[in-house]
Amino acid sequence: MNKYTAPILIGLVVVLVILSGSMFTVDQRQNALVFQLGEVVSVKKKPGLYFKLPLVQNVRYFDTRILTLDAAEPERFITSEKKNVLVDSYIKWRVIDARQFYVSVGGDETRAQIRLNQTVNDGLRAEFGKRTIHDVVSGQRDKVMDLIRTKADQDARSIGVQVVDVRIKRVDLPESVSENVYRRMEAERKQVANELRSTGAAEAEKIKADADRQKQVIVAEAYRDAQRVKGEGDAKASAIYAVAYDKNPEFYAFYRSMQAYRESFKNKSDVMVLDPSADFFKYMKNPRAAGGK
Amino acid sequence: MAWNDPQWGNNGNRNKNSGPPDLDELWRRLNQRLNGMFGNRNTEGGGGFSSGGAGGGNLLGLLLGALFLVWVASGFYIVDTGQRGVVLRFGKYIETTEPGPRWHLPWPIESREIVNIDQVRTVEIGYRNNVKSKVLRESLMLTDDENIIDLQFAVQYILKDPEEFLFVNRAPEDTVLQVAETAMREIVGKNKMDFVLYEGRAEIATRAKVLMQQILDRYKTGISISQVTLQNIQPPEQVQAAFDDAVKAGQDRERLKNEAEAYSNDVVPRASGLASRLKEEAAGYKQAVIANAEGEASRFSQIVTEYQKAPQVTRQRMYLDTMQTVMNNTSKVVVDQKGGNSLLYLPLDKLQQIANQPSSGASDALLQPPVAATPTPPAPVDLRSRDALRSRDREDRP
Repeated sequence: MNKYTAPILIGLVVVLVILSGSMFTVDQRQNALVFQLGEVVSVKKKPGLYFKLPLVQNVRYFDTRILTLDAAEPERFITSEKKNVLVDSYIKWRVIDARQFYVSVGGDETRAQIRLNQTVNDGLRAEFGKRTIHDVVSGQRDKVMDLIRTKADQDARSIGVQVVDVRIKRVDLPESVSENVYRRMEAERKQVANELRSTGAAEAEKIKADADRQKQVIVAEAYRDAQRVKGEGDAKASAIYAVAYDKNPEFYAFYRSMQAYRESFKNKSDVMVLDPSADFFKYMKNPRAAGGK
Repeated sequence: MAWNDPQWGNNGNRNKNSGPPDLDELWRRLNQRLNGMFGNRNTEGGGGFSSGGAGGGNLLGLLLGALFLVWVASGFYIVDTGQRGVVLRFGKYIETTEPGPRWHLPWPIESREIVNIDQVRTVEIGYRNNVKSKVLRESLMLTDDENIIDLQFAVQYILKDPEEFLFVNRAPEDTVLQVAETAMREIVGKNKMDFVLYEGRAEIATRAKVLMQQILDRYKTGISISQVTLQNIQPPEQVQAAFDDAVKAGQDRERLKNEAEAYSNDVVPRASGLASRLKEEAAGYKQAVIANAEGEASRFSQIVTEYQKAPQVTRQRMYLDTMQTVMNNTSKVVVDQKGGNSLLYLPLDKLQQIANQPSSGASDALLQPPVAATPTPPAPVDLRSRDALRSRDREDRP
């Protein structure tokens, strides 16, 4: 073994220890504060390798990424129409001034979040108090969020924090009010259902009535045409009869009467009460009676 | 790697001239650097170390060299397809590396992070794993018309910028969930319930996607939303029945209309059929009436022709023929009114009854009227119908 080996190794270790105490890196995601005996001497905002005095100076890192503050429980606010709403929101924030952040809240993220939460909730309470549920749910949602963000951001600068965004997640109605909403929705649906059914019935009736009308018209027109045709037939028949019977009207009367008698008295229930002196019986009384009358 | 080769340890001495020169080279360079750092304090010692340390120096050198190589090798890494490597030097972002084998300066100088950018990640809102296991806190939303709907959706996303993804937000993947919720609620809150539930489904998803992407870009999350899928949109369970009924009512309405159409389709053609029948009947009647008239006219004309040849006889014959037929077919009572002027009782209703009895073969039997209209007691007349017959029968049967 070389006699220098041991001292070199020892020297190497010492050098490494000193180096590690005098160098530090700042990550892309961080800012760093360099303290000298408790006093902030410099702020490292750029990532990279830095040197410091070992032992005398120490370094504290602050995460500068965007952090989320998402309340576990929704907050209860009152709108301008004196209705309760449960509002769930989140805040996106980041440390932009590590020194200020350290000075004002001790570099404690939790403390910063409590502070932010208060600011935002105050802002939300104020804005909700000026608006109706409809406004905050729908119409002015963006506006409310913008207002709160601006306000919270201004306030947060004093603790070295930038509020990137404040967004409302849920705007819900409390349980008891929800029940009322359900009842109302039910009623509305019932109304729709009834309307659908009655308009359906009405339309059906209309269609049926139209069909009936068509039927009547068709039948009546057909009847009219039919009667007309029959009339034509009758007329023609009459003409024919007239021509024929006009040849001997007297005989026609006799002939037709004979026919009519035959047709009229063909039922056994017809009872004829006859006078034996009738012409028909003349030979019954007197076989030698003269023919004719 | 030759350094891990088993022969290396065994043949260390034999190969010291051929194998290790680069190792020696490395060692020398390291020494030089160290010397440089310590301000050349150990120039002599270092020099002695490298030149004079023939036995122990070599062994130590080998050991340190091996450590050095391991250290250097720790800078190798492989970036798989769909991934990106992000290299930081002393915490500062240097570069993003594409897939393939890569090397960076080893710790503590440089470090790497490997990010899977093409992997499709999914966030589920309003449910977990299965649409049935709902998270009502997330899924119930207020609509513009202050109704409540139950909406479950999933968001799929990939990374578009690994650098932003790593450095700008602390929990970018949680951010997706938050953003998805706020965006969807904003969109739903701006639309009416019927739109969200029925016709607007596709549009809701598209608009939510756009809004989510805007918000995520504002936070510089490096995330790209690839798809927003609405798993389920429905009214809350409490009012489900009413909604179902409304849907049913819509169907009822259609059914009623269809039934009415069916009725119409039944009635109108039938009426047309009836109309055709009436017309045909009328046409038939017309032809029949005319034909009858022609027939009768013809018959009459012919008879007239014959009649004129012998009017008297023909007339007499026709009269008698007719009377015979008439008399044959009817019940007859011959009463001589001139002979007597006293009351004659004729039970016409009874006579008719007899005539109507189907089996009564004797109905047209000639009732013998009293020739002399002596007043007769009612009874004999009553009996006459039957009794007379019987008595006649008896008389006939001597």
